[in-house]
Amino acid sequence: MSENVNDEPVQFKTVSCKVSGKDILKGITLSVKRGEIMGILGRNGAGKTTLLSLVSGLRTHASGEVTVLGERMPPRRTEFRRRMGFVLQEDALYQELTVAENLSFSASLYGVTNPQERIRTVLEVLGLFDRRDQVVATLSGGLKRRTAIARAFLHDPELFIVDEPTLGVDADARHAVWAYLRLLRSKQRTVIIATNYLDEALALCDRVAVLEGGRLLAVEEPSELVKRAGICIDIECDEETANRIASSVTSMKQVARVELTLSGISLFLVKGADPEEVVPGFGRYGNIQGFRLRAPDLLEVFKSFGDTT
Amino acid sequence: MLVVLVLVQAVTFLLLVTLFGLTGANAPTIVVNHDQGPFSQAFVSSLANDHHSFSLTFMGNETVARELVSRGDYVAAIVIPQGFSQSIQQGRTVPITVYVDNINTDMTSDIQRAVPSAILSFGERLDVEGLNVGVSETDLYAHDTSFIDYMIASALVLNTLIIAGTLSAFSVAEEFESRTARVLAVSPVHPLVPLMGRVLATTLVSVGALAVAVFLSLVGYGIYPVYPLEMVLTLLLCVLIFGCIGAALGAVMKRTLPVAMFILGIALPLFLFSGSYEPERFDGNLIWGAAHLSPEYYAVGLMEHAVFGLKVTPEPLAVLAFALVGFGTGALALAGFYSRRGFH
Repeated sequence: MSENVNDEPVQFKTVSCKVSGKDILKGITLSVKRGEIMGILGRNGAGKTTLLSLVSGLRTHASGEVTVLGERMPPRRTEFRRRMGFVLQEDALYQELTVAENLSFSASLYGVTNPQERIRTVLEVLGLFDRRDQVVATLSGGLKRRTAIARAFLHDPELFIVDEPTLGVDADARHAVWAYLRLLRSKQRTVIIATNYLDEALALCDRVAVLEGGRLLAVEEPSELVKRAGICIDIECDEETANRIASSVTSMKQVARVELTLSGISLFLVKGADPEEVVPGFGRYGNIQGFRLRAPDLLEVFKSFGDTT
Repeated sequence: MLVVLVLVQAVTFLLLVTLFGLTGANAPTIVVNHDQGPFSQAFVSSLANDHHSFSLTFMGNETVARELVSRGDYVAAIVIPQGFSQSIQQGRTVPITVYVDNINTDMTSDIQRAVPSAILSFGERLDVEGLNVGVSETDLYAHDTSFIDYMIASALVLNTLIIAGTLSAFSVAEEFESRTARVLAVSPVHPLVPLMGRVLATTLVSVGALAVAVFLSLVGYGIYPVYPLEMVLTLLLCVLIFGCIGAALGAVMKRTLPVAMFILGIALPLFLFSGSYEPERFDGNLIWGAAHLSPEYYAVGLMEHAVFGLKVTPEPLAVLAFALVGFGTGALALAGFYSRRGFH
């Protein structure tokens, strides 16, 4: 039993994992604090799902130590799984059953007391009550995702693991899912989400672990991640103007990085730089059709770590 | 996976054809020769060399030979009486006694055809005119069982394997294809518990389907079981056990189409060397020994007894039932092991 399980329900100590002989996770050390939403951020194939599989017990690590809710993984007892809720990457719902029937089956697996009352509560919170008698196969992707989340929350777990919470769902469903995950945090539930959307990590997570090629690049607050990549200025202009701007900013200490794009040029500013100090005067290099300020995307974050892919 | 399955199918059908060729020949037969004269030796030689229907074993004790036939170790015992050679020399009629395990008319007819044919061949070889050798047949069972009837009873077992095995394998593999098996694997309940729930549901469907098959065999073929309750219990046991075997295959293979193909592919070869149209021990020790690896062997043994009162295996009925339960238990253990493993 870990001595600080109450503070850190999930702990990875130099964990490596192989899948079909390939190293998928390499020496991961990571702790998730109680009551936080921890984001596992990475591109496809980075090892996010494998990391969550180690927490859920679907996979076994090759070396290192994984502790979940005080239980050394792989678990000897399955009873502690009652304290965990999983939303897998796939909805994995029984398509031929109704929403309520799916939840009812899960309630029986987890031994939920007063299941009908609990199902009603969860369906109402997730805005699914009116759909309770609808067969899952006829639901939209967003509603299926919500149903999968409702199923995982049914037994009120203290640790909640969500793989790609808003994969393939529309904007409304996305915000509904986010609102629900924030509600979990407000109830001091620990949540781990794996995502490859930076905006999702920014909107939800207290901390983010950045995975790339099975290695942990950083664990920090999402805002720090954005600052690391820097605010981005997209300038729409012709190629000649873009080249002139690129030459002119090389000496500017506010500009960390420059990328020529199809529509012009993107400038990434260093942490704390003021865009208004950079932009004025660009008009003299040619015709500028427009510009906008935005947060960096995931690829740009990875580039800030020195990735050149 | 599909390539491997196609190869398995190719091999199983070759096996099927080979088994079909190997079974039904060289029936194990005892010769008890009370006469040591030259003619009896020539007759035995005629039995051994001119007819490949027999695989002969020689014994001196008629009582033991008869017991071995009764126990089902041999198809028949041919008894050459004392004074056989002398009677032949003197032109007297010689009765040859044949004890036959008339478990089905196919095998009985083989013996009935082969012995007179051997006598004829023996006569031609000796060039004896007016050879008077008679065959006195003593059947093990008071009634004959027709070949078709015998096969219908064992076909019910094949039906059970295909229906119960395929349905349960399909339902378990579907859990893996739809990824719901992952949800079960991370739940506090062992996945085997809900999976067995699905198997029990498919069992009910299988029982319904089998009821139709049993009805057809009663009405269409006029087969009325000697022990009706035993037949019902045997079929229910088979549905459960084959359901468990299907569940194990579903958990191991994790895909619906390949597992259905696989069960169909192995069911027929297993059926052929499980005593489906004659007791398997009549096909030689090698095939008979291998047949013990097939659950259908035990199931056919139980069914033939329940339907016709026949004893087609040397093993007692209780041993057959326990062996089937053993297969089911092993399959459950396998299903349990693989229900939490092999996720991609």
